[in-house]
Amino acid sequence: MDMLGYTLKRMAISVLTLLLVAAITFFLMNAIPGSPFMTEKSTPQQIALANAKYGLDKPLIVQFGNYLKNLAKGDMGVSLKMQEGTSVSKILFGQGKFVLSMKIGLLALLVAVIIGIPVGVLQAYYRGRWIDNILRVITTMGIAMPGFVVATLCLFEFGVTLGWLPVQSNSLETFGAYVMPVLTLALNPMCRIAKLTRTSMLDSISQDYIRTANAKGLKTRVVLFKHALRNSLIPVITYLGPLTAGIITGALVVEQIYHIPGLGNYFVSSILNRDYPVIMGTTLLLAALIVIMNLVVDIAYKIVDPRINITKKGD
Amino acid sequence: MTGKKAFQVFHTDTDQILDLNQYAGEDFSQAAEDEKASMVQMHKSVSYWQDAWRRFRSNPVSVGALIVFILILIFSFIGPMFIDYSYEEQYRSSQKLGPMEYSPTEQMVITLLENEADAVYATSLNAGSLSAIRKGDWFIRQGSQTYAFHVDKTIEKATLVVDSDSDPAVYYGKDKDWDEETKSYKEVTPIETTSEPAEGAQELKLSKRVFPHVFGTDSQGRDLLARCMYGARVSIIIGVAAALIVLIIGALYGSISGFAGGKVDFVMMRIVDLIYSIPDVLIVLLLQVVLKAPLQAWFDAGKDPVSRALSTLGVGIVSIFITFALLYWVGMARIIRGQVLQLKEQEFVMAAGVLGASPGRIIKRHLLPNCVGQLIIQTCLQIPSAIFLESFLSYLGLGVSAPMASLGSLCSDAKETFLLFPYRLLFPAILLSLIVLTLNLVGDGLRDALDPRLKS
Repeated sequence: MDMLGYTLKRMAISVLTLLLVAAITFFLMNAIPGSPFMTEKSTPQQIALANAKYGLDKPLIVQFGNYLKNLAKGDMGVSLKMQEGTSVSKILFGQGKFVLSMKIGLLALLVAVIIGIPVGVLQAYYRGRWIDNILRVITTMGIAMPGFVVATLCLFEFGVTLGWLPVQSNSLETFGAYVMPVLTLALNPMCRIAKLTRTSMLDSISQDYIRTANAKGLKTRVVLFKHALRNSLIPVITYLGPLTAGIITGALVVEQIYHIPGLGNYFVSSILNRDYPVIMGTTLLLAALIVIMNLVVDIAYKIVDPRINITKKGD
Repeated sequence: MTGKKAFQVFHTDTDQILDLNQYAGEDFSQAAEDEKASMVQMHKSVSYWQDAWRRFRSNPVSVGALIVFILILIFSFIGPMFIDYSYEEQYRSSQKLGPMEYSPTEQMVITLLENEADAVYATSLNAGSLSAIRKGDWFIRQGSQTYAFHVDKTIEKATLVVDSDSDPAVYYGKDKDWDEETKSYKEVTPIETTSEPAEGAQELKLSKRVFPHVFGTDSQGRDLLARCMYGARVSIIIGVAAALIVLIIGALYGSISGFAGGKVDFVMMRIVDLIYSIPDVLIVLLLQVVLKAPLQAWFDAGKDPVSRALSTLGVGIVSIFITFALLYWVGMARIIRGQVLQLKEQEFVMAAGVLGASPGRIIKRHLLPNCVGQLIIQTCLQIPSAIFLESFLSYLGLGVSAPMASLGSLCSDAKETFLLFPYRLLFPAILLSLIVLTLNLVGDGLRDALDPRLKS
């Protein structure tokens, strides 16, 4: 029951956050100078007409209210500029942009977790030895290198010099097209996860119950992965929220560099084009992804770690 | 046996003392100062900072990172004094040079110098000089001699040569008359000189060397080394300034919230939670676009000194600062609040309160100084993340704009021609990664040194 209460409370906060994001985006966006209908040929009358057509002549607060009302019905408005007249939901979901970005993002997330955690365990196990030192240098560098640097370097090395992988990934038709975007996107979170795992593994390895497990004569592998890792994963789980945000941020750059027509790429150009409904829709969609991920992580955190007593009754 | 040993500290071995009875009085003498000193068990007291410095020093990685970072600081802040190029000047005929390459004109000047011309002024070396040389009278100083001269207005592009062995001593040769085989001009035009410069004549600086383009040049003929130095400087300054903004706002907000407690704390922390959960980068991108026009209008008006000072920084940088002031202080605020919550229960805070100190004074004089370790660590770790964000924005074309440069915008400029000129991206990218890497390592070292409890 209390778990349910907590979940409901967290969900309310998430909805509030999304509303706040919607409001900030809406008002900021309208503060961008210039009109989406402004071209070299357009007259003030034409602009006024277009504004009236899309309801942009009403007071801002009314516009915002209307937007929210329509959003509740699933209507995100129509694009004003980039694909004039096409509904935003169709642009986001109907043209494969969302699927494309999701594919890369989820794969990157998987790669980051699947490689990052074992690397961290390995480092903790060989603490202070050369393998730990080498891996630590690599992970620290992976955190320090900006995504666009990694992406362009890979592009040059594997795409141009060696010619192993395609230079432009486009719509990811081949397996080779996936490799570079996913790896460059995964590198930074992977290194962070490895670092985090190492730290918390070192913490749990020094605990008494590990010594007990060792004393019982259990295999090292069992002690490491079954006893130590389980408890060390808690900080890693909490990192999954910021990690999602990081991957979305990275996608903005990576999609641009590899010419992938995904959501991140479209978001940047929609801002530069001042296509209000598209900006609004994309921001809300990406923000919703991050907020939902944070929500899931928070709830999972309480389930996984019973030591944190949210019921405060102690039973 | 072991028992006797354990108590030795408290009970001196009496046998040894009784043994001393067999010596006569004159066998004893007063102990010298250093002999007394060796008996003193007290250590010199070590202050918090000495202790922290000792711990920091014992961490070779952090010390190495600090040294590399200081080298980068020297490179970017002092380096420009030693190179002949500026970050914004476009050197004609020097476009698209590779690292350590010379343009044909520069090559010609080098040859002239090798052939023992005392000095050379290649007009085409410097974009501004062609028009300047036509402006009228000039003078040059060469050793103890001063030559004043007038240059014909019809000269399009020429190289001014000073060679005391030849006659005339000062002449110019047109670039098209240069003979590559004999390494000399087919035809030179003597310049009429007088030893007295005319009133208002401008001095012409002659170059005695051609400085190599160590990192090459970009498509506009700007020296990449100079631009990298400048870009690193801009990036570091942005990082430090943004971190200071975060420090001030975060420390104030966090300490007030923690000290006030109760409902105030609850409301203030819910605000922090809300800002924390906003996906920052999406908002940051929007802010960058939104802030551009109003800031530009404010700067153009330039009425108050603040706007004039800020306008030298440029719209891009100021909007990055605003973004940091709006969104990025929450992490700092949370940490400081946590520290203050712990500290305010301690006796010295109560003592200060009982003595009648106001809440403001307690925060300022008692609480914040005790958080100084955390403040330093967080600020130090904030700098690389600010540099990171700035480079990300500049890479997308939203941060600093030309002719100003940051490491991010240098990378962004290079991305179009990356496949042809990879080194243009490589140099700023390596520099950027090095700065972020070393600052992170120094920050980690500081954390271990200033707050040993966190050490892992």
